[in-house]
Amino acid sequence: MNKIALAVAAAFATTLGFSGSAVAQEKTVTIAPFGVKTGVLRLFGLNSEAAVKAAVEEVNKAGGVKLADGSKAKMIAADYLDDRCNAEEGIAVVRRIYGSEALVAVGPTCSNVAEPLYGILQKKVDDAKDTGLQFPLLTDVAIKVGLAKISEWSFRNVPSELTMYSSLYYWLKTTRPELKTVYGGVEEDFAHSRASWHVVMKDRANANGYQVLGESKWLLNDTNFSTQVREIKKANPDILSIAAHPFTTCGLLKEMQRQGVKPKLIVGLTSTSSLETMQACPKQAEGMIIPSSFAPINKEAKFAAEQTAKQKGSADLHSMASWENVFILKEAMERAGISGRKDAASIQSDRRKLRDALAATKTTKGLLGVNKRTEDREADKPYVFVHGKGGSWVVLHNPL
Amino acid sequence: MFDFLQAVLDGILFGTTYSLIGIGFTLVFGVMHKINMAYAAASIGAAYLGLVTASVFKASSAWAVFGYSFVSGGVLGYFVYLICFHLIPLKNENATLMSTVGMLLLTDELISHATTGAPQNYPATLEDVMVRAGGLSVRGDLILVFCVSVACTAALLLLLYRTRLGLATRAVAQQPIAAQLCGIRVAQVNALTFVITGLLGGIAGALICSAVGSLSILLTGPLTVKGLIVTVIGGLGSVPGAIVAGLLVGGLENAFQHFRGVTERDMYVMLLLFAFLIFRPGGIFAKGRGRD
Repeated sequence: MNKIALAVAAAFATTLGFSGSAVAQEKTVTIAPFGVKTGVLRLFGLNSEAAVKAAVEEVNKAGGVKLADGSKAKMIAADYLDDRCNAEEGIAVVRRIYGSEALVAVGPTCSNVAEPLYGILQKKVDDAKDTGLQFPLLTDVAIKVGLAKISEWSFRNVPSELTMYSSLYYWLKTTRPELKTVYGGVEEDFAHSRASWHVVMKDRANANGYQVLGESKWLLNDTNFSTQVREIKKANPDILSIAAHPFTTCGLLKEMQRQGVKPKLIVGLTSTSSLETMQACPKQAEGMIIPSSFAPINKEAKFAAEQTAKQKGSADLHSMASWENVFILKEAMERAGISGRKDAASIQSDRRKLRDALAATKTTKGLLGVNKRTEDREADKPYVFVHGKGGSWVVLHNPL
Repeated sequence: MFDFLQAVLDGILFGTTYSLIGIGFTLVFGVMHKINMAYAAASIGAAYLGLVTASVFKASSAWAVFGYSFVSGGVLGYFVYLICFHLIPLKNENATLMSTVGMLLLTDELISHATTGAPQNYPATLEDVMVRAGGLSVRGDLILVFCVSVACTAALLLLLYRTRLGLATRAVAQQPIAAQLCGIRVAQVNALTFVITGLLGGIAGALICSAVGSLSILLTGPLTVKGLIVTVIGGLGSVPGAIVAGLLVGGLENAFQHFRGVTERDMYVMLLLFAFLIFRPGGIFAKGRGRD
């Protein structure tokens, strides 16, 4: 009986020992993705969430993240939190993430969330007077120009619209010299669209020698575009540059079709090169040219798109930035030599190390090539020009 | 001047979509003295269900989608009645109002989840028809919406004044207790009112999505606001008032946009609403007070 009892006790102890060591080996590092998962921009969040999950799976398949002590930690993507594209909710979400063990947040989707959100972060590191959050954010979608400079804790891996539209207008000037004039169509009440026309497209068109004839404005919720289309008709531009999201872009294009307004060329907003536009107005978007920092043009890009599709997401310039972010973070964590420990002081120390590593990063590996990092913590990413063809976005030209 | 006339004409025609929604709001208010805030959202919901049902049955024509939307609207109308007005005590004014606000948000989110928030291509009618007269042009599909609005009004007036159901509805609207004492089933009349407005909402939602060219939850908020404005300006409970007010709001909206730009447009529409509330609170077609 004693022998049996001893054997059972030994087996029990062995089991405990094994499970104990298994627990000890299961070190983790957490990243926290967030953005929009409700309302009209829900698809953005779903795609980013899928891309982050898929990329984290790949990181873990390859062994996880190497910690300072040489051990490996599993990367965990926390539940994707919804900020509803609302600044206050975005701030609440990040404060919640800050209270968790996550080392970094990946998001947000909307520029009108990113701008105030960066504002609650500490402006300059080591500024003892500044009580802002000391927490790194690596943005994947919010694309409005020049936001990352707000805080030294904010980083973005979004394409530079200034570079892309400059290149697009230059290419058009070279290949289509007969086009002389540009007219704008802008969703005036949406931060990204507004900035894209007034700061980027208009300026870049002018800089490339185009005569900008003016602009028509509408609002994000507008449904009637008859007046704007008549204005476009009156201006009779060679190129119509639309800085608007899919719903109103499609509304405008359909009204143009009704009124028989056909500019020689239509340029669209980066965010419009998505599945949404092709669901809502594939026929009308035929031929529209958009610069995009993603297209499945090589093995890596195709692989990322396939893995994201397995997680029920679709690959576009935004979701693939989320994918890239996971690998950027893995590399930065390893370079920073984070401890992976879970006490509050270690978590904060790891966050700081990660921030510093991100700030020191000069280039990252992107899906279309090398992404350069700028001094103000923005990305300079490779891009292609896509156009609507047969109900999908097809690469028209690769300028790089 | 010509541009201004064309802009106003475009607005008037587009105002027919506001009229269609306003009719639904006003009918429920006329019968039950309640505001159904979920009406516009349910109408877009019905339009979406119509689109889905048509794709299930592989019927791609716009008319098939409209037919399915019409039926879906009736079902949704009854559902809204059941949840927001039948299960919640009618005596509690705020509870029914808030429940319809809740239903508006719920419907919005359900459409958002079903469509992943992406706008859906909606089949168009009379897409390429443009009626031109004296240099002015009018969209054929909006003329259709206008005709449907007028036809719906005529049908509703016939129903209200030429049928036993209409008599019962008017009795319930004027004196619910007396109507009950006369043997009229008040709950049944109320439910039928919701089904009828729901059927109308289904066709309204489908026509609006067709006129806009796509279905999106971005439509529900503005349509709810415009529907309410139209109902107040037209006169709470007045079906012809809703039509006239819809056209008026649509026309003035474009006139304001023409002179002051898109960013100030809605401000003036709201000022118009306040002007009516202050100087003519009963709306264009102010009704005389009933016995109660």
